[in-house]
Amino acid sequence: MRNVIQSDYVRSLVVGTLAVLGLLGVAGLAFPASVAGDLAGIVFSASTATSTARLAAPIVLAGLGGIFAEKSGVINIGLEGLLIISAFASVYVASLVGIGNALFGIPAIWVGFLAGVAASTALSGVFGIVCIEFKADQIIAGLAVWLIALGLAPFMSTVFFGGVNTPNLGANVGWEYLTAMVVLATLASWWTLNRTAFGKHLRAAGENPKALDTVGVSVSKVRHAGVLLSGVLSGVGGSALALSIGQFVGSGETMVQGKGFIAIVAYLFGNYNPIGTLGAGVLFAGLDAVQVRLQQLGYAVPDTLVQTIPYVVVIVVLALVGRTRIPEAAGEHYETEE
Amino acid sequence: MSDSGSGSGTDPDRLPSIARRVLAPFADRSVAERLVISLAAILLSITVGFVIVLVSGRVAECSTAAWTMPVTGMGFCYDPVEVYVILFNGALGYPFAVGEPGLLNPNWSPFNLSFGLTLSETTLLIFTGLSVAVAFRAGLFNIGTQGQLVVGALATALTVIAAAPLLPEGPVAGAVLILVGTAAGAVGGGVWGAIPGALKAYADANEVITTIMLNFVAANVAYVLVLEVFRAEGSSVVATRYVPEHAQIRPWLFSASSDFALVALAAGVACIAGLYYLLEHTPFGYDLRTSGVQAAAAEYGGVNAKLTTVRAMTLSGAIGGIGGSVWVLMSEGRWMASVPDLGFDGITVSILAGNNPIGVLPAAFLFGLLKGGALEIGFQTDVPTELVGVLRGLIILFVAMPEFFRMVGRFVGIGSGGTDGVASTSSEANEAATEGGETDA
Repeated sequence: MRNVIQSDYVRSLVVGTLAVLGLLGVAGLAFPASVAGDLAGIVFSASTATSTARLAAPIVLAGLGGIFAEKSGVINIGLEGLLIISAFASVYVASLVGIGNALFGIPAIWVGFLAGVAASTALSGVFGIVCIEFKADQIIAGLAVWLIALGLAPFMSTVFFGGVNTPNLGANVGWEYLTAMVVLATLASWWTLNRTAFGKHLRAAGENPKALDTVGVSVSKVRHAGVLLSGVLSGVGGSALALSIGQFVGSGETMVQGKGFIAIVAYLFGNYNPIGTLGAGVLFAGLDAVQVRLQQLGYAVPDTLVQTIPYVVVIVVLALVGRTRIPEAAGEHYETEE
Repeated sequence: MSDSGSGSGTDPDRLPSIARRVLAPFADRSVAERLVISLAAILLSITVGFVIVLVSGRVAECSTAAWTMPVTGMGFCYDPVEVYVILFNGALGYPFAVGEPGLLNPNWSPFNLSFGLTLSETTLLIFTGLSVAVAFRAGLFNIGTQGQLVVGALATALTVIAAAPLLPEGPVAGAVLILVGTAAGAVGGGVWGAIPGALKAYADANEVITTIMLNFVAANVAYVLVLEVFRAEGSSVVATRYVPEHAQIRPWLFSASSDFALVALAAGVACIAGLYYLLEHTPFGYDLRTSGVQAAAAEYGGVNAKLTTVRAMTLSGAIGGIGGSVWVLMSEGRWMASVPDLGFDGITVSILAGNNPIGVLPAAFLFGLLKGGALEIGFQTDVPTELVGVLRGLIILFVAMPEFFRMVGRFVGIGSGGTDGVASTSSEANEAATEGGETDA
């Protein structure tokens, strides 16, 4: 079992690296030599690293959350909605406290952070009840979570601030905090999944719920825990996204802009391994960061086209690697047998 | 249901698809029960929406309260009853004179602007709803109707713009251009739908992921193509030229600014009938449905599952593409970068319709009403129109949890009274019947 996981992990790393090198190669061929030189400079520049950290945080954190839910047997495609709701709630509460003020000694921006996590966790709790207690179709309920958040966050923003975009808080969370959160969350997730009894129960709930039930562990409790953890981690990701900018943008697909879906791709890419998920998230974020830098340097590459690369890479890799191995009982309801 | 999954054992190559497993309960449910659950879901979401309006009306700031709670005297900025009256009455163009003795508005005509806007949305949603429903019936979750619509719409706009100068202006040329443009939309959407279908069939790539990715790719690539190559001269937004006036599907009876043509609605209804016939009365429809309910049994019965997957996704994409054609030729007159979320709404419509082509008609009309009513809410009240987006999400959430309504039904002592055991036995019986070819859904 461990060999399988590790070989898959290695495979995803190899595929990821090859994808990066391939893209650099394509870029080198497509642009004159001077651009390729600039490109290398961009890839290894400090500003690219910081913006990568900023862009990777929501993807990796939501992706880690997705692992917990899906490993427990609940496919959570509502990660996008969890990111949206936490992004809005964090900015709203931070502005409510007021930047410069503190609540119980906690600075406003961190109060906002906690509120974002709480909002996302609450929504994931609803999703869990709907899926586990009311046996809802997980894919459709996940879609509903996304659509509800997509409507609710701009709705609340309009109620409170008179527009779908909130004003800028005028203060933000630094990238070094985000990096620390991402690294800590990745390591903690890996530890929890692979080295604790809870992790073992989680995997059993997704692979063989009957066996878990037989040894006297409540499958539904474990699944609720998995879903709630996806809410907590997505909440950290969504708050990090909004508070690293200091504003919630609710127009169009909101500022989350599909990062929740990319997060799903990141953990499938990483084959449910937190470290692989981190790698995939950083890869996607890095591509985005390089693209942003290219714009700043004045290269007239349409940014929209460069933003398309991660999506295409995902399709190509899925076509080459084929299906990822989802937990056996994911998407199924489990009835406790007397 | 859990047995069908664990029955495939530990062999990783024989895992049934996620979509097929999660969709199976949908295929098993009877039409009547589906109808009751859809109605209950709509009512429940309206109730929750009512509470949301009240609560947000409590926290919003306004000079005078629109509604005061009896007894407590607590004031609220938004009046939820008024919101719903405006939502549904307004979407129809105010046929009801609320508070008047006659209750009906004597000056109301069905051909008013608001009702035209509602029907215009309904028409577009019929196509995207059908697109999602066809894939669903084949056990495939096509989240990519949005992308297929974007590609189909662009194909239509470019084809009609290119072909128009070749024909002399006139109604005949207009009809030809509309047909050619719609065909181009179907081909564009069909090709875009065939990609995830082929990836699913021949590379085992999960269609939920590939279609989500292809949505982003379609939106981005179409945007760049129009920005760099096909942008209309002097246009301040990213958009193609307008297709010639005579090649647009013109409003008839309804006011021109409603962008609603009855002929397009008629085409949508014809599409519903055609798909119903295709699904229920043709060998291809049979293959498609059996693949959706029991892939292994279908294959055992001689159905080429891979080919059926590709065909179902191509058909689904083609219908989504036609939706894009109608959007260009009837609504906008050109391709614009700000394509509305018609494909995602199509998922809602299809789910509410129980993935039944005939159910798509009332479901599309309901969402047309919500969209039309949202405009009225924007004009008439201070309530943010995003409320309708929340209602849309709530409806899906509640439709997804039939077990909740069964529990409530059992609690109040109505409904079938079946226990879980009975319910699962009957669904297994249905499944067995389906395997035997006696589908009733």
